[in-house]
Amino acid sequence: MLRFMVRRLFTLIPVMFGVTLVIFFLSYISLGDPVRAMMGQRGDPEVIAQIRQDYGLDLPFYQQYTRYLGNLLQGDLGRSYRLQRRVSEMIIERLPATLRLATAAMLLAVVCGCTAGILAALRPSSWIDHLVMVVSLFGISTPVFWSGLMLILLFASQWRWFPISGYGDGGLWHLILPAITLGALQTGYIARMTRSSLRDVMHQDYMQTARAKGLREHIIICKHGLKNAAIPVVTVMGISFADLLTGAPLTETIFAWPGIGRMMVSAVGNRDFPVVMGCTLVFALVYVMANLVVDMLYTWLDPRIRYDQKA
Amino acid sequence: MPMRRVVILLLSCCLFGLSAAAAPKTGGTYRFPLATDPPTLDPAQITDTTSHSVASEIFNGLVTYDEKLKITPDLAERWEVSPDKRTYTFYLKKGVKFHHGRECTAHDFRDTFERVLNPATHSPRTGFIDRLKGAKAYMQGQADHVEGITVVDDHTLQLTLAQPFNLFLHLLTYTSNYVVPKEVAEQYGKDFTSHPVGTGPFRFVSWKHDDHLILEANHAYVAGRPYLDRIHYRILPEEVTRLEEFKAGNLEHSDIATGQFASVKNDPKLSKLIVSYPNLGTYALRFNMEKAPFKGNRKLRQAFNYAIDRQAIADIILEGRVIPATGVLPPTMPGYNPQLQGYHYDPQRAQQLLAEAGYPKGVGFPQIDLYFNTSDTHQKIAELVQAYLQQLGIQIGLRTLDWAAYIKLVDDGGTLLHRMGWIADYPDPENFLTVLHHSRNIGPAGNSARYSNPKVDALLDRADATDDWDERKRLYQEVERIIVDDAPWIYVYYYSANTLFQPSVKGLRLTGMDPQMDIGLQPMRLIWLDQ
Repeated sequence: MLRFMVRRLFTLIPVMFGVTLVIFFLSYISLGDPVRAMMGQRGDPEVIAQIRQDYGLDLPFYQQYTRYLGNLLQGDLGRSYRLQRRVSEMIIERLPATLRLATAAMLLAVVCGCTAGILAALRPSSWIDHLVMVVSLFGISTPVFWSGLMLILLFASQWRWFPISGYGDGGLWHLILPAITLGALQTGYIARMTRSSLRDVMHQDYMQTARAKGLREHIIICKHGLKNAAIPVVTVMGISFADLLTGAPLTETIFAWPGIGRMMVSAVGNRDFPVVMGCTLVFALVYVMANLVVDMLYTWLDPRIRYDQKA
Repeated sequence: MPMRRVVILLLSCCLFGLSAAAAPKTGGTYRFPLATDPPTLDPAQITDTTSHSVASEIFNGLVTYDEKLKITPDLAERWEVSPDKRTYTFYLKKGVKFHHGRECTAHDFRDTFERVLNPATHSPRTGFIDRLKGAKAYMQGQADHVEGITVVDDHTLQLTLAQPFNLFLHLLTYTSNYVVPKEVAEQYGKDFTSHPVGTGPFRFVSWKHDDHLILEANHAYVAGRPYLDRIHYRILPEEVTRLEEFKAGNLEHSDIATGQFASVKNDPKLSKLIVSYPNLGTYALRFNMEKAPFKGNRKLRQAFNYAIDRQAIADIILEGRVIPATGVLPPTMPGYNPQLQGYHYDPQRAQQLLAEAGYPKGVGFPQIDLYFNTSDTHQKIAELVQAYLQQLGIQIGLRTLDWAAYIKLVDDGGTLLHRMGWIADYPDPENFLTVLHHSRNIGPAGNSARYSNPKVDALLDRADATDDWDERKRLYQEVERIIVDDAPWIYVYYYSANTLFQPSVKGLRLTGMDPQMDIGLQPMRLIWLDQ
C-alpha cells in the first residue's frame, strides 16, 4: 500500500506539469488582455505597453512559460496582475472558507443521500422509493442560483431562521443555507447511486446465503449489503467532494461566501493569469488527492483489491 | 419629457436631503454594501468606483468637489493660478496628520505625484498627472525628478504644467492623486494596498477579502471627527441578496435589483426609501466610423437612430429608472443643451433615410453584429434593438464577450457596432466631448467609435483652451450639435441612480457623480445615523 501511495504521489509531478502547460497555453491564446482589463474603460496605449513589457506579457509563449515554471519550482505562484497581492496568500486566506463549505455540503450529501438511498432500496416501488427518486431528481436538476435564492427568501428573509448571507464570525448558522444549496446536487446523486447499487447487491447469492444462515436483516444490510454496494458510491463521493471544492462559485456569490471559486471566476474575467494558474493547480491537486483517497478506500471495502501485487 | 423626469429625480433627491435637517448625532456603524471586493486600496492603482468609494474615506487630495460639483479645497487651503495659466500654487492646511501620526506636508504631495509617474509603480492613471512639466521625461527615465513640481516650503506646493489646461484642478480630484506617506508606501511596496495609510476621516482597520472591510473614525481628522464611529463594508456580489439584507435592516443602503424596481416602487414602505438622482453618464451603441457600411454614410447612422424607441427601452427594460438620451451630454452636466432634440422614434423617417443611404428596406445591407459585454441588461437592450432594426429589414447578429476580451476587441476597432457606457471622470463637457470624440483619442483613449471630424477637432481645441465659461459652453453646444447630427453613436439613455436608504441615514449629499451603490463622492464624514 505504501509503495502504491508513493507511486501515486509521484504521478502528481507529470500531472501538475501537464496542468500548468495546458492552462498556461489556454491563457496565452485566450481573447483579451489582462493589462487592458485592469485599466478600466480608458487606457493610455503607452502605459499599457509599458506594463505589458514589465509583466513579461510581450514575450513569446515558451519564455513566459519557462519563467513561470522557474518561479513555481521555487514555490512562488506570483502576484495577481490586478490586485498586486501574492497568489499564495490569496489562496491560503480563502481556502478555509472553501473547505468549510465543501465539507459541510459533503457531510450533508453523504448523510442525507445515503440514508435516502438505503430507504428507497429497501422498499422498492414503495411511496418512499418514489419520494426519494423525485426529491433527488429535484436536487440534481434545480439550478443553484434558484435554490439558493429560494432558501434565502424563505428561511432567512421570511422566517429569519438563518442569516441571509456572509461568512459572519465563522458560526454554524451562516454555513447551513449555503451548505444545503451546494450539497443538494451531490445529495441527489449519492441517493440515486446508493439506491441502485444496493438494489443490485440485495439480489446477490451471498445475501441469500446470509439470510439462510439466519442473520438479522439489519446485519445483513449493513455488513454485507452496504459494504459491497459502497464501491460505486465511494467513487461518486470522491469526485463529488472535489466538485464541491472547485465548483462553488455560484453558491459563494449568492451567499457572499469568501471562497476560492468566486475568486477564480473573477480572475478569469479579468485575465488575471497568475491567480487562474494558482487556483487551477490547487484544484488539480484536490482531484488527484480525492482519487487517491478513493483508491485506498477500495482496498478496505473490497479486500480482493491489492495495488501492490504484480499482475 | 426627459426634462420633466430630471426635475422629478432632482426633487426626489432634494426632498430626501431636506429631511436630514436635524441635529447630527455621533456614533454608530454604517453598514455599506459593495458589489465586489475592492481590487486595491492603493490610490495609484485605482481605476474602479468600488475602490474609489473606500479610498476616498481613507485619503485626501489637494482639492475635491462640493455638493454642486464645483472645485473646493481639500487639503489645500487655497490656491493661485499664474497669469499664463501654467503654474498653480497651493497653500496647504496646517496640522494635517497621516493616520500613523506624522504631519502631511508639501513634500508628501511631491513624493505622491512622483510615485504615480514612476514606471515601477505601474500606475494605470498616470494620465491624470502627466501634464506636469517634465513628467514625460521622468516617466521615460530621463530625469530623476519631475521638473514641474516645486516644494516652496512645508506648506506651499507649486505645480507647473507643460501646457495650460483648464481642467487641471479636476484631474487633481482623482483618486490616483490622493496623498500617501512615502515611507509607508515604500515599506510595504505592492502590499501597500493591504496597509493603506492616509489623512482621511476614516482609518483602515481590517479587511477579510470577499467578505468585509472595516474603517473607523479618525478622531484627529483635520476637519473634526466624523459622526460615524465605523464603516462596515460588506461585500455582497448578488443584487437580490443585497436587497434582502436591506429589507432585513442589515444595510444602511442598497441598490435595487434588476427586475425589482416596479415591485419596490409599489411597496408602500420601501417606495418611501428610494432616493433617485441623475448620474453623469450616457449609454450608447457606437458605430465603427472607419469601416463600411457606416463609414461615410451619415444617413445610414441617422436611420439607425430613428429606428430605435429609446422611451420603450427606458420604460420596459430599465423599468422607467433612466432618462432617454437626446445627445452626448447628460442633463446635469454643465453645458447640457436642453434644446437639442436628438433622434426620436420615427420608423418612417428611418426607412426613408435607409433608402437614401443606399439600402431601401434593408436590401443589400451586409450581415453585421452588435457586440456587448456580458450582462442581462445589455442583452435585453441588444435584443430590442435587433427587433427594431428587423422592422427596417436589417438583420443584425448579437455577440457577447466578457469585459477583458470585449474591451480589447473594441480598442482594436474589431467591431462594427458595439455598446459602451460612459460615466464622467469629472463634471465637465470636455470629459464627454473631447475625450470621446476628438480624433487624437481614437482607440483606447476613449473614442471607440473612431469618429474623426476636423471641424469638431478644431472647435474642441478652441473650447478646451478657453477659460471663459460662456464661450466654452457655446462652443461645446455647437460641437455637440454637429456630433449628434453626424451620429457616430445611437444615443440610448442617460444613467440615473435609484438607491434605497434606511430612514435613519441622515446627512446625504449625493451628486451626479455618485454611482447608485458606491456613492463614492458622498463624504461619509457628513453622514450620521438617527437611531
